[in-house]
Amino acid sequence: MVEYVGTRHSRARSRRAARAAEPLARRLDWTLVAAVAGAVAYGLWAIAGITRHDVPGNPNYYLVRQGVYAAVGGLGLVGALLVDPSFYRRYWRALFGGTVGLMALVILAGAATRGSKRWIDLGFFRFQPSEFGKLLFVLALAGFLADRARRIGEPRTTLVAVGLALVPIFLVFVQPDLGTALVYGAALAAILFVAGTPWTHIAALGAGVVVFATAVLWLLPAAGVPVLKPYQVHRLTQFMNPTSDPRGATYNITQSITTVGAGGVHGRGVAGSTQTNLDYLPEHATDFAFASLAEQRGFLGAAFLLCLYLLLVWRGLRIVTLARDHFSALVAGGIVVAFLFQVFVNVGMTMGIAPITGIPLPFVSVGGSSMIANLVAMGVLLAIYARGRERR
Amino acid sequence: MRPGALVNRRIRLLLAALALAFGGIFLRAVWIQGVRAAALSRLASSQHRETVALPASRGTIYDRSGSPLAIGEQATTVYADPKQVVDARAAALAAGRTLGIDPATLEPKLADKRLGFVYVRRKANPVAAAALEKKGVPGLGFYPEERRTYPQGRIAAQVLGFAGVDNRGLAGTELQLDRALTGKAGSETIVKDPLGRAIDVVKETAPREGRAVRLTLDHTIQSNAEQVLRQTVASSGAKDATAIVLDPHSGAILAMAVEPGYDANRFASVPVALQANRAVVDTYEPGSTFKLVTVAGALSEGIVHPGTTFTLPYSIHVADRVIHDAEQRGTEQMSVAQILSRSSNVGAITLAEMLRKDRLLRWIGRFGFGRRTGVDFPGESAGILPSYWSGSTIGNVPIGQGIAVTPIQMASAYAAIANRGVWVRPHLVARGRAVRRRVVSRTVAAQLSTMLRGVVTSGTGTSAAIPGYRVAGKTGTAQKPDAHGGYSNRYVASFVGFVPASRPRLVVLVTVDEPKTAIWGGAIAAPAFQQIASFDLQYLEVPPDAPQSTPPAGY
Repeated sequence: MVEYVGTRHSRARSRRAARAAEPLARRLDWTLVAAVAGAVAYGLWAIAGITRHDVPGNPNYYLVRQGVYAAVGGLGLVGALLVDPSFYRRYWRALFGGTVGLMALVILAGAATRGSKRWIDLGFFRFQPSEFGKLLFVLALAGFLADRARRIGEPRTTLVAVGLALVPIFLVFVQPDLGTALVYGAALAAILFVAGTPWTHIAALGAGVVVFATAVLWLLPAAGVPVLKPYQVHRLTQFMNPTSDPRGATYNITQSITTVGAGGVHGRGVAGSTQTNLDYLPEHATDFAFASLAEQRGFLGAAFLLCLYLLLVWRGLRIVTLARDHFSALVAGGIVVAFLFQVFVNVGMTMGIAPITGIPLPFVSVGGSSMIANLVAMGVLLAIYARGRERR
Repeated sequence: MRPGALVNRRIRLLLAALALAFGGIFLRAVWIQGVRAAALSRLASSQHRETVALPASRGTIYDRSGSPLAIGEQATTVYADPKQVVDARAAALAAGRTLGIDPATLEPKLADKRLGFVYVRRKANPVAAAALEKKGVPGLGFYPEERRTYPQGRIAAQVLGFAGVDNRGLAGTELQLDRALTGKAGSETIVKDPLGRAIDVVKETAPREGRAVRLTLDHTIQSNAEQVLRQTVASSGAKDATAIVLDPHSGAILAMAVEPGYDANRFASVPVALQANRAVVDTYEPGSTFKLVTVAGALSEGIVHPGTTFTLPYSIHVADRVIHDAEQRGTEQMSVAQILSRSSNVGAITLAEMLRKDRLLRWIGRFGFGRRTGVDFPGESAGILPSYWSGSTIGNVPIGQGIAVTPIQMASAYAAIANRGVWVRPHLVARGRAVRRRVVSRTVAAQLSTMLRGVVTSGTGTSAAIPGYRVAGKTGTAQKPDAHGGYSNRYVASFVGFVPASRPRLVVLVTVDEPKTAIWGGAIAAPAFQQIASFDLQYLEVPPDAPQSTPPAGY
């Protein structure tokens, strides 16, 4: 690297200029890139086995589709990498409007599958806006809170942030997509947390959530006002008591735990994974993909994926601390926590330590929207890292 | 505080949360995939694998001539899964109409959503079931089953017994031969999907089909015997009647008829008492037919010859009792042969008193009374010998009172005489050479045979005579004991004999229980014997052994 003689200031400036001139490739967090690439590749390998018997005569049907989505997502990642995060901050209001608009669009024009409207059918692709909405939601909220950074201690700031967030959360909730709404909530909490919202506010919000959950799950139904559909209540509460109705309400969780356990340490292989191949495990390619992976590849295979996630989230949290500015830190925090939350709830659900919600497992579950949106989010993370290093 | 420092502190908290989340997941994975893996793996395997039995078809029972008496018939069992039934009323109507079941009784069963399986009709007519299946009523299911049927209906119903709804023999020959008839069920392990549909068969053990069995019964002889008994019961007003037709040389039972009979296919609705094969499981006091044993003993022990004569009064004192002959007469000279042919009680008791208790008991035992013959039929009775010997017993037992025998014991005893003194174990299924033992010498057997001919030619059994054949036999008329240890005014009339007496081919026994029109064995049972034996002789094309011109004497 060339050293220029001059003032500290000019030296710093010139260094920054030099760094800016460095090819983007040298400013990347290659560990994170490796973790993402590893997770995507491993996810494709896992899906290849999980869906081997799903489409008769075409064992690679889902693998090919997922491969295409991963490629598209890779392009999205590169695209996101090229955008300076401060761009998002400038237009957070538009992003917020876009988020709300997308969600409203689903309600109006969505395709219904099994009683819920989560998709917009584009013919060749079933577009699930709530997956992309996660990133937009994080960007918009981070923009708002970055603008109010000096007034972060005021209750009004917190209240407005929560109020803004509740609009898309509510729209996702009524699709109904309870799981994704919870992911949004987790992202909101993370952004507030990283933004420095006082503990008192966080405690108050926490209390509010507890009161709300109690009301929705027990008090209001008891009073004759059902908010959630019965199956949603069951799924949220019965993971604590999986043997209560193994052929009915807790069929999914019972089968999932059985599937995970059947894998043992080394797994039963693709051919021997009867729980997956014979459809005893419901939704084995999407919501319960982790259980299928655990059945086919065993503890070792499942633990390897978890290590990739661990690496990914650890690098992500590191980026929060390395971010160039407050906004970038908030965005990184929101993305990483939302990601962690998805992994935890999905994996936990398959093993009976989290409620059953329809959250896809990042980079593994079959689904284009989730794959592409997650890769774009990783692109934003990498962009934050790249710009963060410019500063020093 | 710099925002950066704050962020760093809070990030540490997030890192802690991250560690906690992943730590929890790892621990949980270790618990499920390590500690509980074996149990859960078994659970996973057990829920998609099911081993179902492949029933072996039950062997056919044939008669001697190869005519089927019991066969397995294809039937279709109709069941329902009430959880899958959409419209219980419609399903009940459809099933009820095609299968002939009252829809009103069917509907509540089909409407009970708590159940996953109910029988609509076990082993239904396969044609009707196929018609129902074609209607595609949701919730109804079908699977093939074998139904035991008895194509000859009433014929040999008590001998055949029955096999239950699960195709296991529960009575009679079906029970006796169950092991051979049943075979061994196979099994197959199927892989099924969560809806229970079979996807693949991974292991299969073929069933070993049940073996067919051929009985010694002849359905023609059997059917004729039953018909004769039916007429006898009807014309005499008797309670019931039993007949046995036996091949004395082989011990093969050609017919074993019990009246009243019933259709073997309807065994479920027939009173159990009616289903008993009384020829084997029931005992009766034989009366005079038992005198054979007394006379055989006296001859064999060398006490008398057939021509030895006795001066016999009408009655005789035995201890505190007075026993007299059946017909009023004065004191007469009678030979041993006449004692038998005229069925003199006084004569038989006189012989028995010469024989004495121990030798009499030994001869009773030699003829097989008081123990099972070992006929291959379940529930055989051993008969009853006197439990104590009082002073008057010597006046009862020699004439067939105070002793109970089974018809098959009596038929076998006469068969031993017909078989030149060799007793052969009677049987329904031929399995090599039957167990046999000598009971009396050839000479004594020949002497007894001649005496028994006299019963038919000039004694009490003249109505048993068959033109063209020499018939040997003995009548029996026994008072039935009542509930108080005395004797009632109800009788068992019987006749047992063999033809042709010179070269016996058949032993026929007939017992008629409580005839109303007459009580005498010679009047009630001997004609039945005559009808059965003469039919069988013709059917078996047995050449006559007596000049046709000889008229049956003594009418």
